[in-house]
Amino acid sequence: MISDQPLLRVEQVDKAFPGVHALDHVDFALYEGEVHVLLGENGAGKSTLMKILSGTIAVDSGHIFIEGRDVGDLNPERAAQLGIGMVYQDLSLVPSLSVAENIFLGHLPKGHLGAVDWSEVYGRAAGSLEELGVEIDPRAVVRHLNVAEQQLTEIARVLAHHPRILLLDEPTSALSDSERERLFEIIGQLRARGVSIVYITHHLAEVARVGQRVTVLRDGQLVGTLPVDEADEDTLVRMMVGRRLTEQFPKHISALGETILKVEDLSLDGSLQGLSFELHRSEILGVFGLMGAGQTELARAIFGLEPRALGRIFVEGKEIHIRRPVDAIACGLGFLTRDRREGLVPMLPIPPNVTLAEVSQIPLFGALRLQRETETASQYVRDLRIQPPSLDRLVIYLSGGNQQKVVLARWLASASRILIFDEPTRGIDVGAKAEVFALMNDLTQRGVGIIMISSEMPEILAMADRILVMRGGRFTAEYQRGEATQELLLRSAS
Amino acid sequence: MADKSSASTEVKAVQATVEARGMSGTLRQLALRGGPIIALVLLSAYLAAATPFFFTLSNLSNVTRQTAITATLAVGQTLVILAAGIDLSVGAMAAISASVAAVLMTQRVEILGIAIGPLPFGLGLVIALAVGTLCGMLNGLIITKGQIPDFIATLGTLTIYRGIALLVTGGLPVPSHLTATELKGYLPEPMIWLGAGDIYGIPAAGIIALVVVLAGWAILRYTGLGRATFAVGGNREAARVAGINIDRTKIAVYALSGLMAGLGGFVLAGRLNSANALMADDANLNSIAAVVIGGTNLFGGEGGVAGSLIGALIIGVLHNGLNLLNVSAFWQRVVQGLVIILVVVFDQWRRRRFLR
Repeated sequence: MISDQPLLRVEQVDKAFPGVHALDHVDFALYEGEVHVLLGENGAGKSTLMKILSGTIAVDSGHIFIEGRDVGDLNPERAAQLGIGMVYQDLSLVPSLSVAENIFLGHLPKGHLGAVDWSEVYGRAAGSLEELGVEIDPRAVVRHLNVAEQQLTEIARVLAHHPRILLLDEPTSALSDSERERLFEIIGQLRARGVSIVYITHHLAEVARVGQRVTVLRDGQLVGTLPVDEADEDTLVRMMVGRRLTEQFPKHISALGETILKVEDLSLDGSLQGLSFELHRSEILGVFGLMGAGQTELARAIFGLEPRALGRIFVEGKEIHIRRPVDAIACGLGFLTRDRREGLVPMLPIPPNVTLAEVSQIPLFGALRLQRETETASQYVRDLRIQPPSLDRLVIYLSGGNQQKVVLARWLASASRILIFDEPTRGIDVGAKAEVFALMNDLTQRGVGIIMISSEMPEILAMADRILVMRGGRFTAEYQRGEATQELLLRSAS
Repeated sequence: MADKSSASTEVKAVQATVEARGMSGTLRQLALRGGPIIALVLLSAYLAAATPFFFTLSNLSNVTRQTAITATLAVGQTLVILAAGIDLSVGAMAAISASVAAVLMTQRVEILGIAIGPLPFGLGLVIALAVGTLCGMLNGLIITKGQIPDFIATLGTLTIYRGIALLVTGGLPVPSHLTATELKGYLPEPMIWLGAGDIYGIPAAGIIALVVVLAGWAILRYTGLGRATFAVGGNREAARVAGINIDRTKIAVYALSGLMAGLGGFVLAGRLNSANALMADDANLNSIAAVVIGGTNLFGGEGGVAGSLIGALIIGVLHNGLNLLNVSAFWQRVVQGLVIILVVVFDQWRRRRFLR
């Protein structure tokens, strides 16, 4: 039950990075046994606040109290001593070590003579994974796990420390629905044990599902804290974006044009089983499937990233041979990868990231058009409202949504006629989502054909003119706009 | 209404940053890369105060000649390291290029039954550059097509190239009293001038190095290859998705490294008035040290040739200064190692402070 004294209290915490006021005198309180949801658009300061609490970045000013006592300067060791455990949004596992080694990283159980007691390591790791209710082999090497399994391993690692305060930074972004449900159950159990949890998410639907209270941040400032029963989605959206979104999915229905892309019998051993489909001009073709159904492989195969793929691809009626991405780009294709880290060169500023796809189209010693590059980049920074609007800021210092916009700008700038978006809204907030959708509409108005791979059913139902459902590397169903429902999609996918 | 005014503020903000980009860019560069310059200035100031021989024209031109070779090789090394590679064979490539060219310019040799040589200076220079470029391309091909780590590949070719150079020269300096024949037993005058001569008091080797640095800078800043180099070194996967040919980029930077090693070896042989298979033996580590001191990230994607020039100067000035101060050759090595470590430690510390 919620007591009077907060377990954790943050008072007037302030943090500025060069060019950004990440947290502007923010107050925040977490009570014992509470799940407190932290909401905000990308760059609102949520992750910064979490990193301050886990001791990975220092505050400029302000105080942090635990059970009423000022804890002073935090560092990761001190935060761990105080019982604060953090699950990071960007995974922090060692890829070459086993699941069990990662779980006990830095404090492997020791037996006689100080040697590592491996049976203890694997036994206890299996125990904590079982406690989480996940089937992961503790001896498996982390590199060979999929993202969801890695995320669950990361959670198991943090829980192995038995934290009193658990910080979860978008823990469900990589999870399937059943894994997500499982995580919510675990959160419920932890809470019953008296663990207090700060939960960052972008899914408004999760707020009432897991939380008791919700705090909204915007541009580094506290907007407000509410009990979840007073926080319906409209209120939250308004608090997050500071304006009311009348329509989250402003889909304009545009007349379909002729076939722009035709794929015949596309196969990739193990993951794609002879897929054939067509994409039309001005069409948004949704591809839905549960995790691992082959959607990502489909996109990568079309774009020339899977050299072992077989099949025929026609663009505007002409057969083309795509052996590597440069061929695809030359034919007017663009690809927004699921993982943003595969899309950006982090230590370069915005302009070269925006024009990166042009580099392959000029000869080795051909000159870059730097003047035009600056113009293009500043145009897209303006059009896509990339924040902060600074051209020489390295993209590593941009927030997730803004990084996504930079990759989007690249394919807009390359004037692609066929775009493949793999989970275009993954890990970005409602405001940025609406902007991405508006952009997709703009593109279809201009005759661009879009393949939209998404596991977010409301999004795909609202945006797609046609939906193909995948399971086990095959298409199992095709729905025209308006035919599909969430239930139908799920039934076809599983 | 509100939307409109905020949009126009943003437009202004963007324009302001665009306009400020050049200025703040330069200041930023100085703040980020200033550490090595500060170290160089302090070192030179100390030496100027400690010995009257440092700030003399003849000594400075001597320093320039020595630094020129390191700087020339370091430019190629910078390109390779920016692409997340490393080239351990630059010294060997310098030696094999100079050796092959020197043999062909001083002796008459039979290749496939055709007697060649002694060749004139111009052809000798072209051959040195071609040999270097080919060796570099071979490095790139082994790494990309053989799919082995850059470190291992160039460690292997380092030995191979030295071995071939030994075979070509018979293990003797070229020319030497044994190899000097009734033919032209000496290296061509222009070659010696490249290494030891000067124009209006400025060492030719220094001018060559400066041209190479400018070329490297221009390649990185203005060409597709330069951009591809940063992308491949900064995020290989992103470069691949953006259609950049990673293999071609790597082969190209290694070929350029070979080209610059060939040029450096040729100029060095001119300065020494002799080429041999074991010359430039400290060039690998000096070139890598110059790049790292100059602030280029050893893991690729960040840095540039200007820093490497400063790095090469620090190494050159230090070496020269220790000689002038009569420090024993044994201690010189210890001090050089310490300075490399200290400069980089200082630079890392300062960068962290600046970025926070």
